Amino acid sequence: MSSSLSQNTSRPELLARKRRLRRRQAFTRTLIGIELALVLVPLGIIVLWALTNAWPWPNLLPQDLSLRGVEQVFSGRQNMGASMLLLSIGIALACAVITTAVAALACRALCLYRWHGRNAFQFAALLPFIIPSTVFAMGVQVVFLQVGLARTVPGVILAHCIVALPYAMIIMTDITSAAGTQREEAAKTLGAGPLQMIWHITIPQLLPGIISSLSMCYIMSFSQYFLTLLVGGGKVQTFVLVLFPYLSGGDRTIACAYSTVFLLITFAVFFIFELLLRRFGVREEESLYG
Amino acid sequence: MALLSRKTKRKAAPYLMVLPALLLLAVFIYGVGSGIIQSFGIMTYLDRTEFTLEYYEQALTRTDLMDSVMFSLYFSLVSSVLAAIGGVALSFLMTQARSSRFIRLLGIQVPITTMHAVVALAVICLFTGAGLFPRLLHILGIAPDATWFPSVVGAPSGWGIIVVYLWKEIPFVAFTTLTIMRNISTSYGEAASTLGANGWRTFFEITLPLCRGAILRAFLVVFAFAFGSYEIPFLLEPTSPKALPVLAYIEFQDPDIINRCYAMALNGIMAGICTVLCVIYYVVLQREKKQIR
Repeated sequence: MSSSLSQNTSRPELLARKRRLRRRQAFTRTLIGIELALVLVPLGIIVLWALTNAWPWPNLLPQDLSLRGVEQVFSGRQNMGASMLLLSIGIALACAVITTAVAALACRALCLYRWHGRNAFQFAALLPFIIPSTVFAMGVQVVFLQVGLARTVPGVILAHCIVALPYAMIIMTDITSAAGTQREEAAKTLGAGPLQMIWHITIPQLLPGIISSLSMCYIMSFSQYFLTLLVGGGKVQTFVLVLFPYLSGGDRTIACAYSTVFLLITFAVFFIFELLLRRFGVREEESLYG
Repeated sequence: MALLSRKTKRKAAPYLMVLPALLLLAVFIYGVGSGIIQSFGIMTYLDRTEFTLEYYEQALTRTDLMDSVMFSLYFSLVSSVLAAIGGVALSFLMTQARSSRFIRLLGIQVPITTMHAVVALAVICLFTGAGLFPRLLHILGIAPDATWFPSVVGAPSGWGIIVVYLWKEIPFVAFTTLTIMRNISTSYGEAASTLGANGWRTFFEITLPLCRGAILRAFLVVFAFAFGSYEIPFLLEPTSPKALPVLAYIEFQDPDIINRCYAMALNGIMAGICTVLCVIYYVVLQREKKQIR
């Protein structure tokens, strides 16, 4: 492109254009650098505070590092044991798998088929986006109490799935319509059975979306406070329910220690999904994710 | 015969595929609906079946309620408008700089992954009276002591709430527009710049119109989330006015179970405002589609 242009532009003009381009690149890079700093500094402060015993005014750096906060988190007091962690992770994983499967199926119907009520469904699928989850939580509490789903793990998973569904649907819609049906039809003409086709064509095609949706739903469920509080009724204790009271006051070291552990768990899970994404050979150009 | 059955199978397939999602949505609608029904004073589990608008009337005449509605609308509108602008800018910058996957992970995925309440904690650590930002000002000779800086917790302007939402939602908007923008920049962008359009013109005349749908959708999601969520206002808001969801939950928790009707009326108002905004969004989108045709 530039070679065709250079034929009718003089050399100094070309140099000036190059300089301008380089200056603009430097400018955009600086802005992105600032954004990265704004993202990382608050997280760094939380980690630092978790390792600090006291941080008196007006020191910019902590004076007295200690592991007091971290020890308390792992001491098993305040319902904060391995079983609680496992429960939170289990709920989030279940929600991620169920929601992604449900969304993948629904998006297939939405993108590749014509049927009655398609538009109405498309609108309804956005409802959990529009109507706040607090409204849903307060309304559904009585319903769940009546059918015996309140204060149970399945009830919490069900509620989380509903809230995560529109996010999963948006991710899956993009990739399903991009993938189309060409390769599937080719496989069919070559004599593949339906199961073979799903295993060898459909799932690999959708894999980046599936992984991205799993990761999104996992995070949604893992950090869901209000809904878990109301549906779980304080009986289903997830990590956020234990963490939240510390945020609003009291010992900042403890609050930051809990938050750090929380951040580590979410980032670890996110990292695993990210590795999976690479492991399955999703190339940069094809990735619809991020 | 076999052909017929295959045809019916093919016809039934999409309905079967949406069935699980439909069930989840039915639970959602049933849950919201049962709340709204309670707002009209109908509580079947207490054998109250008389329809009344009394709770809406009372809720709408309460002075603190109007303040709450305005406060909630204010911080969610400000944060979602700024998040939309900032998110588009971030996504544009990353497309222009051809940022590597690692940079995108740090700048976009990390904030999306982080929980809102943890961000609120970081804001508290930074901006309370004795927080790290006032300390920096102190060292620069601006802040004389730990009481000089007005604390972010309980600030009447709610700027802490807005900061938390911006930190979370700017990357979210960028996330939803980045893929489209990258595709545009590789396909249309080159054509436009070969034809001599400069960066800004390409952005305003090609990129922005093509991303409009995605931006509108992201804006709506961000607004509805900020408007309807409990955690951040609960942690950072002033004692009055309270955000709508916090007010509703206070009424919901009241030992007098009749107060639930109040809570549900507040919820009904909240859902109503969100639905109105969504309808506006659909009308705008439909009109645009017609214009394109």
